[in-house]
Amino acid sequence: MTPLLSMENLTGGYGDADILQSVSLTVQEKEIVVIVGPNGAGKSTAMKAVFGLLNIRGGRTVFDGDDITGWSPNRIVQRGICYVPQVDNIFREMSIQENLEMGAFLKKGDLSAAYDRVYELFPDLKERRKTLAGSLSGGQRQMVAMGRALMLDPKLLLLDEPTAGLSPKYMEQIFQISRDVRDTGVAILLVEQHAKQALAFADRGYVLAAGQNRHEGTGADLLADREIAEMFLGG
Amino acid sequence: MELIGLVNYALFMGIFIGIYALLALGLNVQWGFAGLFNAGIAGFFAVGAYTSAILTSAHADGRIGGFDMPFFVGWLAAMVAAAAIAWPIGKICLRFRSDYLAIATIGIAEIIRLVIKSEEALTNSARGITGLPRPGGDLPYVESQAAYLAIVIGVLAVTYLLVERQFNSPWGRMMRAIRDNELAARAMGKDIEYRRLEAFIFGAAIMGLAGAMFAHFNRSITPEAIDPMVATFLVWIMLILGGSGNNRGAILGAAVVWIIWSVSEIATDQLPHEYAVKAKYIRLFLIGLLLQLVLRFRSEGLLPEPLRGDQSKTGSGQ
Amino acid sequence: MGILELLNFYVIPGIVLGSIYALGAVGITLVFAILRYAHLAHGDLATLGAFIAFAVVTAIGVSPLVALPVAVVATAFIAVGIDKVFYEHLRDRPKIITVIASLGIALMVRAVVQVIWGVDSESYVRGISRPDVYFGLRIRDREIYTVLAMILLVGGLYVFLKQSKWGKAMRAMSDNPNLALLSGIDNRVVVMLTWIIAGGLCAASGVFLGINTELKSMMGWHMLLPMFAAAILGGVGRVEGAVLGGLIVGIAEELSVLVLPSEYKAAMAFVILLIMLLVRPTGLLRGKVL
Repeated sequence: MTPLLSMENLTGGYGDADILQSVSLTVQEKEIVVIVGPNGAGKSTAMKAVFGLLNIRGGRTVFDGDDITGWSPNRIVQRGICYVPQVDNIFREMSIQENLEMGAFLKKGDLSAAYDRVYELFPDLKERRKTLAGSLSGGQRQMVAMGRALMLDPKLLLLDEPTAGLSPKYMEQIFQISRDVRDTGVAILLVEQHAKQALAFADRGYVLAAGQNRHEGTGADLLADREIAEMFLGG
Repeated sequence: MELIGLVNYALFMGIFIGIYALLALGLNVQWGFAGLFNAGIAGFFAVGAYTSAILTSAHADGRIGGFDMPFFVGWLAAMVAAAAIAWPIGKICLRFRSDYLAIATIGIAEIIRLVIKSEEALTNSARGITGLPRPGGDLPYVESQAAYLAIVIGVLAVTYLLVERQFNSPWGRMMRAIRDNELAARAMGKDIEYRRLEAFIFGAAIMGLAGAMFAHFNRSITPEAIDPMVATFLVWIMLILGGSGNNRGAILGAAVVWIIWSVSEIATDQLPHEYAVKAKYIRLFLIGLLLQLVLRFRSEGLLPEPLRGDQSKTGSGQ
Repeated sequence: MGILELLNFYVIPGIVLGSIYALGAVGITLVFAILRYAHLAHGDLATLGAFIAFAVVTAIGVSPLVALPVAVVATAFIAVGIDKVFYEHLRDRPKIITVIASLGIALMVRAVVQVIWGVDSESYVRGISRPDVYFGLRIRDREIYTVLAMILLVGGLYVFLKQSKWGKAMRAMSDNPNLALLSGIDNRVVVMLTWIIAGGLCAASGVFLGINTELKSMMGWHMLLPMFAAAILGGVGRVEGAVLGGLIVGIAEELSVLVLPSEYKAAMAFVILLIMLLVRPTGLLRGKVL
């Protein structure tokens, strides 16, 4: 089956230094794929590479049949990939509803169906839709950020460390919502520090180290691998 | 006669270039090396001019001052006064981005202008302070001009050497580190605000000195002696054109801009009065445009900032 | 001093002056928050707007209020043009470079005014306008127009920013520029809208200053400090804060005459600015600190 996203031997970085060295990965439709690895492995960089926020010097990225290497973020958003950065991922001084509206900025016409879909996934947000996003707790902000990204009905959602700094309760909730999102037909590629929990919940995983692919496999296989456990997962 | 006229004009121009070069050096300490935006250069200049004038002029009734002190006391006091004004402004504004400093320095220059215009007991208002001693002022005219030029060049040379030495010292390295990467410098535990304050005060003191030298050259100072906006802006274009971060560039810029400025003034003064007035504003427009062009096409200036040892991987600097 | 005297001689003129400052301060606060630099040519742009209205008034003999829309539109265009020609290419450089450029633009715009209209004082209408008395309050028609126009223009802007798609996009760009770009908001349109609004309001502030006092080539430059003080006092990025700040600065300037020689009226703005930076740099309504 042709993957939805396929990154092929991608090399690049910020400025002149290559942080990624020939990294390859794929995401199938309706699949949750997680990238784990030690600090500085290039996990978030790999994700930004998909979104065109990097200087690419080798390889290519194919999404849904189009070679999107070198596209502007704007065009990539319109093509069906939405990205949730790790930090500063909401408009603090705007209400929840306005955050969602900005997420759908490129969409023409009526937004009510999109609002309904997002509020169905995040019922907490619906009640508080007039609240300023900046006044929410960390977990709720993450939901606003994901909701904003889902407003354009993307085929693929990129989440950069969505559970960073969240309590275990919220972490579970974010993972659960990610499954719900996947069940509505959206593939998810995420970067995670909490490698164990993330591999347990993802369909497949990639282990990156020093900007290179190290291992890949189903979440369960990677978790079971003793070498990986020792190297990256803290035993 | 022709030759004497020309010599006189050259001496006159040389003195002005020297005074403006001092201002440009002062701005270079603030902007070129510390990235601080001072839009009130004329204010510090005026504080220096009036401080020295009050201390060195002869006693006059109805006015504080007239202490009849020697000129060099006045010049030192001018530096201290300008630095003293810079201190609270810097203290308050340097915690923020330089935009705030720009606004505050516009404000302080405006207040200084108001004080000079209205405090008759201090500045003699519109009539200004006259009869300032001028070193070498007793000599015949041409010799006197030449002597003053020599003093200006001497002061400029000493200032240049001092500033250059500061830049190459650990202090200068730290200033550049802060300017080029504030976050990294902060992470290394540098007291950024204090360093910036030092640079701001140091630069202001140089500007105050330039003001004093200007006043003593004219033997007087009045509120109309300089147009604050024009003076401030000329110094900016001198530094940006010459090359911010480069002390020689600052001096070169002062020479180039002042020559263009005063020669074009002579040229337009030949026009009938009605056009001559307009020509002044057209020259201002063009000098503003020159700044835009330099920023766009040669932002490093005529003499780019030299790569010093700490900035270049292969550099052979100190 | 009676309360009526206080109101008539200090508070009412202060509100009028404050409304004029508010019109400029709103533009300053938007430019500061969205484009992220202090725009030093703002005052001189107001001068230009005032003189464009003057040209219309003298050419076809209409009242300055009729000339106001012409000046607003023309100055908005000029502001967009200045951005395109002089500021746009500096966008990727440190913002302070644009601040320097704007100081040069201030000089250039003023020079244009001085070449075309000279440096003497002008006024829109000759003669003295007598105030009407309402319950003991002495108010001139032009003062009512000034305050009303400020409320209408800023109110309209407020609704635009809160309700319209592009108004929200402007707020988004001020709030989180990276996320705004990731959301597909076109920065070029936001920048252009910002200049249209800032330029138009700037002209309005210049015209009303001209209506209430007189027209001079330095009129706008002298408003720059009060306008910035108002923007910072209210909180950078806060439109309602800029209005509040403008009114406070205007009233404070008029009241300062009670304790300071009138020559130092202009110093009030500076004092307010420094006090705010010292005790509450986010401003009264919690704006940004750049």
